[in-house]
Amino acid sequence: MHIPDGYLDPLTAFMTWVVAIGYTYYAYKYSELRTKPELILSLAAAVFVAQMLNWPLPGGTSLHFVGGALVAILTGPFNAYFIMLMVLLVQTLIFQDGGITTLGANAIAMGIVAPWAGYAAYKVLKTRIGIAGAASVGGWISVVTSGTAVGILIGLSTWFPYSLGISVPIMAIWHSILGVGEGVITGLAVLYISRKAPHYIAT
Amino acid sequence: MTRRLVLFLAALVAISPIFGVWLAELLGYHEPLDIAVELINEAAGYTLLRDLSEEWRWSPFADYKVPGLPDWVGYIVSGFIGLMTFFILHVIIKRLYVKRAS
Repeated sequence: MHIPDGYLDPLTAFMTWVVAIGYTYYAYKYSELRTKPELILSLAAAVFVAQMLNWPLPGGTSLHFVGGALVAILTGPFNAYFIMLMVLLVQTLIFQDGGITTLGANAIAMGIVAPWAGYAAYKVLKTRIGIAGAASVGGWISVVTSGTAVGILIGLSTWFPYSLGISVPIMAIWHSILGVGEGVITGLAVLYISRKAPHYIAT
Repeated sequence: MTRRLVLFLAALVAISPIFGVWLAELLGYHEPLDIAVELINEAAGYTLLRDLSEEWRWSPFADYKVPGLPDWVGYIVSGFIGLMTFFILHVIIKRLYVKRAS
């Protein structure tokens, strides 16, 4: 899902950087980066490694864990932003997985949209269908919404001369299929943690 | 980071080439976004969106490879470079806040 350099025009890329920097300042005030740096960096390291475990699928694509919903369910969406931001910084700066000009867009899609969507779905559904089911739906929704966000950003770029009507459905439909894997992993992980270490799940 | 977590993540990094290199080569892996962009380019009838990362190389470890090493070894080394980076960040942030607090 990492947008590489070349997919967004300079103005769109600049605007996404502005939004990401503004959100970083805002989220910092509500995060626990100062009080729980160990937890946040440990989860960032775990998400980084989990994202290296691609499960290639016949046909040439892959399932791999994104982690936005899971870390939001565990630590809340503001901490989740810094977890995903650190993962993105390491992936982008060291491994060129995602572009520099598109780092703001990637931070929006994977650091803001995915955690908030996953967290909101989990909060709304957990009393109705149980935590595992709610976390599964949250994981699935996080991938669909962040994929859709990428579609919107690509569609807004002037380098893409067609409407959002082309980029958004392609990204949303594709990620609604891939999101199933994210949902299953998120549900199982939350179920396991709720039994072994329930204090790690955000209230 | 606890010792147990570090060992667990190190074990995952050690087996990661099975998924990230061998199976990926076997099945012809492409990033989902690249496939979506291919569909977009096909719908447009020409190359609308082009990944510039091949032309803008700023890291020797691009695509989780290490120059001079086979892909699978490079993938493992990259995983450990990543883990080491988070460990260093952890030490820096911890010291920063300890300094501020004192």
